[in-house]
Amino acid sequence: MDFAGKNHKKQAVGKTLLMLCLIFIAIIQIFPLIWLFDFSLASSNELFTNGLLIIPKKILWNNYVKAFIDGHFLLYLKNSLLINTLAVILVLIISIMASFAITRMSWKLSPVVRNILLLGMMIPIHATILPNFQIYNKLGLTDTIWALLIPYVAFSLPQGVFLTSSFMESIPKELEEAALIDGCNIYRMIAVIITPMMKASIATVSIMTYLNNWNEFMMASTFLSSKTWKTLPFSVLEFTGEYSSNYAVQFAVMALTALPAIVIYVLLNKHITKGVAAGAVKG
Amino acid sequence: MKKLYSNKWVILSLVAPGILTFIAAILAPICLSVYYSLTDFSGMGNAAFIGMENYKDLVKDAAFWTALKNSILLALGFIIIQHPLAIITAAILDKLQGKAEGIFRCIYFIPNVISVAIIAYLWKFIYNPSFGLLNNILHFFGYTKDVNWLGSGMAIWSVLIVLIWHGFGWGMLIYYTGIKNIDPVLYEAAAIDGADAKVTFFRITLPLMKPVIQVNVTLAIIAALKQMETVYLLTNGGPGNETQFLANYLYKQAFSSFKYGYGNAISVVFIMICLAATVLLNKIFQDRSLKKEVR
Repeated sequence: MDFAGKNHKKQAVGKTLLMLCLIFIAIIQIFPLIWLFDFSLASSNELFTNGLLIIPKKILWNNYVKAFIDGHFLLYLKNSLLINTLAVILVLIISIMASFAITRMSWKLSPVVRNILLLGMMIPIHATILPNFQIYNKLGLTDTIWALLIPYVAFSLPQGVFLTSSFMESIPKELEEAALIDGCNIYRMIAVIITPMMKASIATVSIMTYLNNWNEFMMASTFLSSKTWKTLPFSVLEFTGEYSSNYAVQFAVMALTALPAIVIYVLLNKHITKGVAAGAVKG
Repeated sequence: MKKLYSNKWVILSLVAPGILTFIAAILAPICLSVYYSLTDFSGMGNAAFIGMENYKDLVKDAAFWTALKNSILLALGFIIIQHPLAIITAAILDKLQGKAEGIFRCIYFIPNVISVAIIAYLWKFIYNPSFGLLNNILHFFGYTKDVNWLGSGMAIWSVLIVLIWHGFGWGMLIYYTGIKNIDPVLYEAAAIDGADAKVTFFRITLPLMKPVIQVNVTLAIIAALKQMETVYLLTNGGPGNETQFLANYLYKQAFSSFKYGYGNAISVVFIMICLAATVLLNKIFQDRSLKKEVR
């Protein structure tokens, strides 16, 4: 009896210790962001303190107004959403089509084409920046949406093909055969019968493609020069030059640009977790 | 049916978009890169063919070797610090029931959804000598000297900290999923046999996680080789070339030093290193699992 009680106590202590470990790591992961948000509400003079966090004398929401307007937040957010959504749609269409040909249809070169399409996974995206810059320059594509769409789609495609083709292999063939006997052509059959059954892998591919490209800015800053198609990271990149001495506003623009991704993540937390897990383990 | 499924034109039309994208965005640029790497092109004007000169220079270039060394250092940082921490955290998290589990998992992953641009500038502020968070924390614990985190000698470690911090949630999540996939019956059996948490972790969790660990280690090494964005914004390879990475170095050579041909030579070598690393790692891990099966 006594012995069991001791054991229980030991277990309780162990549990609290483990809990403390988790909390400690959580603080390390999240505190920089809390600090960012805190400093974004203060005035620049208040930043030079010795405390970890500041309690601003007056909360300066004005920092955010400046960040919102001068950071071209709405325009860049719109561009980011548009470019990423288009990239996701293109990746999905191209990879479902290719996956169907690879997994279902009978032709000799199928494994070769599959490997070629997957090869992109091993190529470092940044190694193509220099030649692509020359190509886009010659073709007049710099500063257009294509300069971003083409590489974004190309480098998300291998993962898309990988995920959709391995998922397609698990779909039974009977349904499509029935549709084809009814006189449906292959393209319609893919759109109407196959695609709706691929929901789970479509979600995974979309999430992985979004995560890959949402944060990309090396290509964007190399290939774009005017504001027309610049994406959200530019709010931050351009601001640090413009407001180099006004640190509080810089904090505000960073907090503001981080917000959309955080909100979407917290809302779709479960789906994103599942998607990343499925995508990363297989990719 | 069979005829329909082997119709060449249908097949071609289905794979053409994918193949064309690959050729236009990956294959053609690489071929162009190989061509430019053999010239002294500066980015503008004419290019003269100079054979293997750029590659010869590259082998002698100290910054190139620093960049490679830094990639290895980062890979080691991932494997020795980030991944063990991630596995242990995932194992603890797995035992946690209820709401807390989801909340912790969510918090750990948040840095991953934030743009690298923000992460890099945020850490630049954290390392800032006059109002940075890190020096303030040191002051808080009574250390009064200001540390120059991004200065010579310190910078590479500061860069490693950011990258290990940023990728932690991703690694954790993958290990967490791996652990969740382990059959709970095994844990129950272990509990009946009287195994404590430590024994269960080392005898059940770790061995069963081996394939996941192998995939994750491969990905970590490749990610360490490919590292660019954070370094570009945080230090741009400086001071000097102390924190240089291959991708950043080729970019700098082409666009800041106007050695476009030389930058392309680095690109070509960079691609070959990444391909070799992927193939090699897959070979190592495949051989091992094969040997085990044979036994």
